[in-house]
Amino acid sequence: MNIVEKESIEVIAQSIGVGNLSPDVLPSLAADIEYRISEIMQEAIKCMRHAKRTAMTSDDVDSALELRKMEPIYVASGDSLRFKRAARHKDLFYVEDKDVEFREVIEAALPKAPLDTAVVNHWLAIEGVQPAIPENAPLEALLTPFDNKKPDFKEDGVSIDMKTPVKHVLSIELQLYFEKITDLTVSRSNSIIFNKALLSLATDAGLHPLVPYFIYFVAEEVTRNLNNFQLLFALMRLVRSLLQNPFLHIEPYLHQLMPSVMTCLVAKSLGNKLTDNHWELRNFTANLVASICRRFGHGYHNLQLRVTRTLLHAFLDPAKAFPQHYGAIKGITALGSSVVRLLLLPNLDPYLQIIEPEMQLDNQKDESRRHEARQVHGALMCAAGLCIYNQLKMIPNLFSPPTHAIWKSNGKDLTANPNKRKAGINNLMMEQTLKKAATGDGSVGGHLVKVEMPGASSGFSITRGVSDVGVHPLPRYLPNDNIPGSSGRRDKFGGAAQTSSVAVARAWKKEVNAGHLLPKLYDLFGESMLPFVPSPELCDIYI
Amino acid sequence: MEEEVLDKAVFLYLKKKGFTQTEQIFQQEQHSKNKNSSSSVNATDVSLSDPDLAKQILAFSQSESIPALYHDGYSKLRSWTYSSLDLYKHELLRVLYPVFIHCFMDLIAKGHLQEARTFFNSFREDHEMMHSRDLTKLEGVLSPSHLEEMEFAHSLRQSKVNIKICQYSYELLLQYLHKTQSITMLGIINEHINFQVSPGQPSSISDDAEAFSLVGSGQDAANLINQKEIHWGLLEDSLEERLDKAGGLLSDSEKTEGDAKEGELDENKKKSTEGGKQGGPLKKLKKDKVSGAAGKAARGEGEKASAAPRVKPELTLPTIPTDVEHSILEDLRNRVQLSNSTLPSVSFYTFINTHNGLNCSSISHDGSLVAGGFSDSSLKVWDMAKLGRMGSSMLQGENDSAPNENTLGSNGGKRSYTLYQGHSGPVYSASFSPLGDFLLSSSSDSTIRLWSTKFNANLVCYKGHNYPVWDVQFSPLGHYFASASHDRTARIWSMDRIQPLRILAGHLSDVDCVQWHMNCNYVATGSSDKTVRLWDVQTGECIRIFIGHRSMILCLAMSPDGRYMASGDEDGTIMMWDVSNGRCVTPLVGHTSCVWSLAFSCEGSLLASGSADSTVKLWDVNTSVKMPKSEENKSGNTNRLRSLKTLPTKSTPVYALRFSRRNLLFAAGALSTNV
Repeated sequence: MNIVEKESIEVIAQSIGVGNLSPDVLPSLAADIEYRISEIMQEAIKCMRHAKRTAMTSDDVDSALELRKMEPIYVASGDSLRFKRAARHKDLFYVEDKDVEFREVIEAALPKAPLDTAVVNHWLAIEGVQPAIPENAPLEALLTPFDNKKPDFKEDGVSIDMKTPVKHVLSIELQLYFEKITDLTVSRSNSIIFNKALLSLATDAGLHPLVPYFIYFVAEEVTRNLNNFQLLFALMRLVRSLLQNPFLHIEPYLHQLMPSVMTCLVAKSLGNKLTDNHWELRNFTANLVASICRRFGHGYHNLQLRVTRTLLHAFLDPAKAFPQHYGAIKGITALGSSVVRLLLLPNLDPYLQIIEPEMQLDNQKDESRRHEARQVHGALMCAAGLCIYNQLKMIPNLFSPPTHAIWKSNGKDLTANPNKRKAGINNLMMEQTLKKAATGDGSVGGHLVKVEMPGASSGFSITRGVSDVGVHPLPRYLPNDNIPGSSGRRDKFGGAAQTSSVAVARAWKKEVNAGHLLPKLYDLFGESMLPFVPSPELCDIYI
Repeated sequence: MEEEVLDKAVFLYLKKKGFTQTEQIFQQEQHSKNKNSSSSVNATDVSLSDPDLAKQILAFSQSESIPALYHDGYSKLRSWTYSSLDLYKHELLRVLYPVFIHCFMDLIAKGHLQEARTFFNSFREDHEMMHSRDLTKLEGVLSPSHLEEMEFAHSLRQSKVNIKICQYSYELLLQYLHKTQSITMLGIINEHINFQVSPGQPSSISDDAEAFSLVGSGQDAANLINQKEIHWGLLEDSLEERLDKAGGLLSDSEKTEGDAKEGELDENKKKSTEGGKQGGPLKKLKKDKVSGAAGKAARGEGEKASAAPRVKPELTLPTIPTDVEHSILEDLRNRVQLSNSTLPSVSFYTFINTHNGLNCSSISHDGSLVAGGFSDSSLKVWDMAKLGRMGSSMLQGENDSAPNENTLGSNGGKRSYTLYQGHSGPVYSASFSPLGDFLLSSSSDSTIRLWSTKFNANLVCYKGHNYPVWDVQFSPLGHYFASASHDRTARIWSMDRIQPLRILAGHLSDVDCVQWHMNCNYVATGSSDKTVRLWDVQTGECIRIFIGHRSMILCLAMSPDGRYMASGDEDGTIMMWDVSNGRCVTPLVGHTSCVWSLAFSCEGSLLASGSADSTVKLWDVNTSVKMPKSEENKSGNTNRLRSLKTLPTKSTPVYALRFSRRNLLFAAGALSTNV
């Protein structure tokens, strides 16, 4: 409780020339001084309050001294007397006392006279509602009225409208953590410690304040380092860890995150060296995208829709490079066999016609390109195979003929419309928020694949428009609807079996269709399709 | 130990009787005894062998001085306690009561009955408030045998009192006792008080339930003072009441008469309203908006107000000129009814370029005049109506050049305000008379000055306080005013006398703010001792004490129906009190810094608060009042329901608030750069 130490008394006594102070009086002097100081402070606080201030000034202390009938300390008031901490001493303070040249003071130009006090009037509220006028606090401040508001006031009394940024306070520990992680990601992603870091990211609670920073970090780094394979891979692993963390609430940042992730899936080139195994990165990212869709698909029903649309565009655009096609295919595959069936298989036939010649040694001399084509072919085959496998596996469980009729009747028109409109509204809102975000960081646009966000109805015209222009040479294979299974799809399936679009909507549920599918795929891929057939009996039946 | 006491007693006795030689010999003996410690053992043995003798010696020495010792010791301790630091005072005060009763009982026990009585009577008033019941019991103790018989006294003698006290207060107390050599007091304190010393800050005054239940008497004793009768109702024959009646009759006979009157009154009315309402463009705006709901609103309000009991005025009140009365009635008719769904419009007066010098601000009832008191001893008054007109005339061009010249001329030069100079210290408070023709200001030069806004001159200087006057306020009907000062008193004055009419003493620290009751019969004061007191103006007695705040009280407001009072403190807490029983209705929590100003809307449904956190908050009074305290404790979020709206300013702490008679809320504050 002792504020005034007896050592200080000794020092003060010496400084005013009292050398022979007996040690007995020191404690009682110290106690008395402490009491007197608190007494003065008590009065000074009263003066401060009655001057309607919340910070004490030297005037208040002077007034308090006068109240106690003591001589005030005659010093300049204001900010000129600021105690400074002496260098290398923790508890030593001093007042800076500058030498002032007399002549300078005399010759200096007179300062401007202070402006006279005035009163201005404005409406703080009209019937309880604050009008949006410059005199009132900006609306942002309404949300955080107690955040430190910067005085937007100039000496001439003109107030300017200034937006006050909301301060986001991060603890020192979190800052250090963030720096450490980002540092590891950038420079030492091969080390064991990076794996530890990822583990920590995936499990630690309390990292939530860092999420926006990590998301921004990922977006920044992806944009800047498209040719740094190592880093991209590390970033994707970081994203995966963040997604795995059960304590983090990533949803609000998804719209910022998705462009980065999608870039790593379908960008034209990832890494600059041949040795960079960008195929692996694409595989990894494809799974990541799929996991995002699975996890957040319920909350944002157009999330998967937007992802598939992006992927499909990458896939159907022959102008894009094979690695991009590969990424798209992988992405679609990871989303599940139904998506593959609806989006990939219809386009399989024409696509293979394009890719076949690329794989021939005599047609394509470029070794690397041939390799890429082969990779894409492999991916396609894999996708188709998984698809057929899943379907054949389901057959025994799906013998429920009575339901077919119902499915057919409501499959297309009856229920589709209201849902569509709803989805349209949702999409529109989503679009707005995303647009905002997009304009926020315009620099990203150059490299990142923009996730397209057409609404079920409104967005449609956009894609059609594009296809009409002729960018896509395969316009007839654009699916009529992008929500798998939500309504009928006009199937041009090689004329093999189906003509009824209604039936095709749920075709995959029917063993018959699966039966048709397999031979078709067999035509396309040959023998390599057969290993995907689940059991030999079924195989026998259908081939 | 005992021997030392003995020696001392002998020594004192010798000194008193003037036996200097014997004294010297005695002293020598003492020294020699101390020197050869081995022999001193024997000496003590000898002295101890005769305990009766020792007792006699002691008793002899005591009989001479005891009553005076107790009296002096206690009165010194008491005055020391009262002058100690506010922060620790309430803790030290707790010590006084046990010391007091034990002094009394000691005196009785030693047979000084007469002295005990005088002692008891001279100090009993201090404790009347908290422990009156115990005191009446003890009063009956008249002989040492009573002490033995009386169970209450016996239990007091037997048990020790527990007092929680912080480290620093404890040290202060001990230091004082040692320094002043008050052995008697020290003895009593050691014998009967058990200190529970806690490190750190002193406990808050509102925490000390133990203070009341010190001797098991409970809260009743504390509230005894609050059981005094109070007539909180509104004045008979108030303007509101008259309006209500008039409103009912207006349809028939009154109307014709009213028309006839209208003719002659028209001119008067115009004159009276000229200054206030026509001038401000904002007034007009409001009038348009209001006119629709006006009639109904006023009527409904009237009914509500009439539910409150009526009381007779105890002061002779000034008469209101008829033209003013009519303009007030006009205002009342046009009043907007506010409720939790219809919030008021707020017009904000921002002081700019104050250079941190603005200490207080006041707004006249119609909002046309704004006064600011500055730390450079000046008082400045802005006529907002004129400013508004100047602004509009500038827009209109040269058509109204004549009035423009006038306003400039009257203000003298380019200044937009009227400067009142006269004080010789910072001006801490200003208050407009209800009609706006007078202005009072109080200053640290311990004077109050009365200014005329018509002549722009100082009329009277009231000297009476001997320390800075923190607050001054006109009574709701004018003529009388109340002031609050650092000298721990509040005073009631009338404009025509330079001496105060009443001095209200009783607060233990500075009186920081003062507020008249609506019926002019009572005055409330808030103090640095963390209590609010309500005083009867006629008798000058304290009739209510409101305990509950945890820091200095900064502002007060009375509800228009006279039943409720709101007080705001340094921490940002606002408390709503029921004047009739002295209990806290509910605390309103929400501000983060000092609450500088409070105002009830005219029909009492809303409370506005202005704070150093640069916000104006609007609170729903009706729900706050209805909600019992227990329920409010259950659910934490009820506060949010009661707080209707927060209106942040840009960077302007809100110094003053005022609801006009038509329920437009005016607020004022200084734009500050270092909030």
